[in-house]
Amino acid sequence: MTAVHPARSLRKRGAETDPRVLSTDAIIDALARREATGEQDDAVVSLLRALTEDVDQRLSSVSITPST
Amino acid sequence: MRKRGCVRLITLRYRRVNVTNPYPFTMTTCAIVAGIMPNVTEGCVADAKTGVRLATRSDESDLRDLTSLAVQGDRTAIETLLGQLRPMVVRYCRARLGRVSGHYHIADDVAQEVCIAVLAALPRYRDMGRPFASFVFGIASHKVADALRSSVRSAVPTQDLPDGPDQGPGPEETVVRYIEAAHARELLSRLPENQRELIILRVVSGLSAEETGNVLGMSPGAVRVAQHRALARLRAMADMESIA
Repeated sequence: MTAVHPARSLRKRGAETDPRVLSTDAIIDALARREATGEQDDAVVSLLRALTEDVDQRLSSVSITPST
Repeated sequence: MRKRGCVRLITLRYRRVNVTNPYPFTMTTCAIVAGIMPNVTEGCVADAKTGVRLATRSDESDLRDLTSLAVQGDRTAIETLLGQLRPMVVRYCRARLGRVSGHYHIADDVAQEVCIAVLAALPRYRDMGRPFASFVFGIASHKVADALRSSVRSAVPTQDLPDGPDQGPGPEETVVRYIEAAHARELLSRLPENQRELIILRVVSGLSAEETGNVLGMSPGAVRVAQHRALARLRAMADMESIA
């Protein structure tokens, strides 16, 4: 018995293991963990990093928990 | 002060808002919850030093156990469960809805709506083999869509100004980050919806490929291929802009 269904095409199976896909996955994982990507960020990765920093920032003055 | 173990009225933050709110569904929403709102940290949705940790298989198993206890009404489990989920929900809502008048008021209120909706739905939740996160993000996705439909964004002034020292980044850094984040949102808005959702869940909410796949009904491999294509598309758009 194989781990991959035999009906699944070789082309599709190959796409998941494409080095470029794996490289992108490593970059996305690093962004998701808020870690450095290990190489110079390109423009889009920098923008996504800015977006994560923006949404992660602490709110300064207004409580976001419910009032009682 | 929070009071646990008693019925209390949970209202959202609008006592500090003195203008007509553009989101009537949040303005009018109150929830009577039997003292089970989580005691989670205010405002901070990520610790910059520890970062966001992607879930592992054992985390998923722990979350499943926690969910099972929460569905049975275990207060501690409910508190822990929402405490774990809320930061992801806040990030997701912030990324989807962005700022209004420079603040995340609306996005954070929608996140709160999501948490309340999850609380209300918990007793009816049945484990069908999919992670609880997919259930939560399903609710979040609908709440964000509701907010976008009903929104005519306008200023949300508050009665008083903050009077404490600001420990955040300086004005220049803040403006640069603000502009870059807005640019990222603008590029994301031009992606097909499924790719946009995928990138937000993976990058902003910090879900793993497996979790994202569970939320979107895709295999982890398909998530990896789709995110690669989405990033390539974003790069192409950025290149076109730089040429223009």
